[in-house]
Amino acid sequence: MMRAAPSLLEVQQAVHRAIVDGVGPDPEPFIVGGSIEAADRLAIHRHTAQHALVKTLALSHPVVRKLVGAEFFEGAARHYLQQAWPSMAWLDAFGAGFAPFLECFAPAATLPYLADVARLEWAVHEALHAPEPAGLDLSRLAAVAPDQSGALRFVAHPALRLLALNQAADEIWHAVIGEDDTALGAVDPLTRPRWLLVQRTETTGAQVMRLTEADWNFAAALCKGARLQEALEAGAARGVAQDETLGRLLASACFVGFTIDDRGPP
Amino acid sequence: MVGAGMPAMNVRTAIPARAGVGLRFAHHRAVIEERPPLPWFEVHTENYLGGGPNLRALEDVRRLYPVSLHGVGLSLGSAQGLDATHLDRVADLADRIEPSLLSDHLSWCVVDGHYLPDLLPLPMTEEALTVVCRNVDAAQQHFRRQILVENPSSYLRYRHSTIPEWEFLAAVSRRTGCAVLCDVNNIHVSACNHGWSAQAYLDALPADAVAQIHLAGHSLRALEDGRAIRIDDHGSRVAPEVWALYRQALLRFGPLPTLIEWDNDIPPLDVLLDEAAIADRLLSEADHDARRAVAA
Repeated sequence: MMRAAPSLLEVQQAVHRAIVDGVGPDPEPFIVGGSIEAADRLAIHRHTAQHALVKTLALSHPVVRKLVGAEFFEGAARHYLQQAWPSMAWLDAFGAGFAPFLECFAPAATLPYLADVARLEWAVHEALHAPEPAGLDLSRLAAVAPDQSGALRFVAHPALRLLALNQAADEIWHAVIGEDDTALGAVDPLTRPRWLLVQRTETTGAQVMRLTEADWNFAAALCKGARLQEALEAGAARGVAQDETLGRLLASACFVGFTIDDRGPP
Repeated sequence: MVGAGMPAMNVRTAIPARAGVGLRFAHHRAVIEERPPLPWFEVHTENYLGGGPNLRALEDVRRLYPVSLHGVGLSLGSAQGLDATHLDRVADLADRIEPSLLSDHLSWCVVDGHYLPDLLPLPMTEEALTVVCRNVDAAQQHFRRQILVENPSSYLRYRHSTIPEWEFLAAVSRRTGCAVLCDVNNIHVSACNHGWSAQAYLDALPADAVAQIHLAGHSLRALEDGRAIRIDDHGSRVAPEVWALYRQALLRFGPLPTLIEWDNDIPPLDVLLDEAAIADRLLSEADHDARRAVAA
């Protein structure tokens, strides 16, 4: 039992617990009841907060929602809220853990591709909402001396995402987004890995591109800040020349900056 | 205190005293392509904290219209102070959009690093008043401008509250120099839910500090045993009682920038234009009355 006049912090902590999970000090003794009981008044806020978060997850995971149906999705989202709650008022950043959650969510065990579809949706969502960077000045890049090009380390665009998913997830996502039921019905459950690059575009929002495994590894190494020379050599060691891949990555604005590191690896 | 070095910007003059509407994603394209005859738009700050297509659309809108940024996430009532990262994000957006008005609510939504997506009511105590004033000061210092603080809709009150909400809000404005965003629908909703007099609430607000008005629809949620509570859900047209209270607000505050808010079951843009036209008619009547009063 708390004292009669709680501090502001005590009120906020108690109301928070009552809204999130009902564990902890009960705020009801602090609240004026009257014709409507304190519990019912708190329930209005619990409903508003949970409804907002379920809606947020539905907006960032429309394909998952379509695959499992609105009712199942809402149930899964409410389970997810029991273990994840946003830490900040930027709700576009809430939901990163939904895909890993779905992977372990027993009622979805019959849909082994679901978590990967959610991973792809989240990458697209992040690509759409990542901060605006200043673009890469290609003339500055062109001015780098040829003998220094191997020493380049690139900075990835904040909206760029690289994913290795099973093929079914990729094809299901494309079919649902394209509202193509025939393609959806033809998805092969026997799957191989699919190497994907997700990037924001000027015109269409976000695009999902399929890469070869070698190109994906090359892009991943550059995005992690590997020196260009080492990244190219890693490809060459597997018999793949990737100069053209670099050109394609640059042309699709995958990088927003670079440094020259002539001290060598790592 | 009002921050030293803060520009003496008077937000009353920045946006015309006419009716604008809340801009939601569904209407981005229509607004940019059709350029409806509206004097200004307001958006929810937290919907544009990232980059990408939504931010680009807002920048396009901003090139065509004055814009007000209305926040739900500052948590001006947080006992633990404001979130520095969130302040920075809002300041970055404000630098980019150059909004005419920058506002948030007399409420809280963050505690112990957890965010609750709702506008939660504060106990109306001297302690809470000190906290809110400290946070409003910090926000105005951070943004280097005056902010507006909006009266919330509320569904619960605390037993240990000692200050009427209208006096609390007036004190926040007096002590920090912030402006007041008077949400007429919220006054009506809270007054009905708690048995207050909406007119007395309106009369107690500091007329010189009120710089903007919000109007929205609300619903009546039935509980068991025939009990009901009004919910500020922004999902319908402005109620007749709220239009009547708006007339009273204009009599007291004079013509002010007025916003039509609609966030759920968002209708076609034309419906929002209709609501704005009603507000505009009342604004011109108020303006006419004010001129006649001066002439007399």
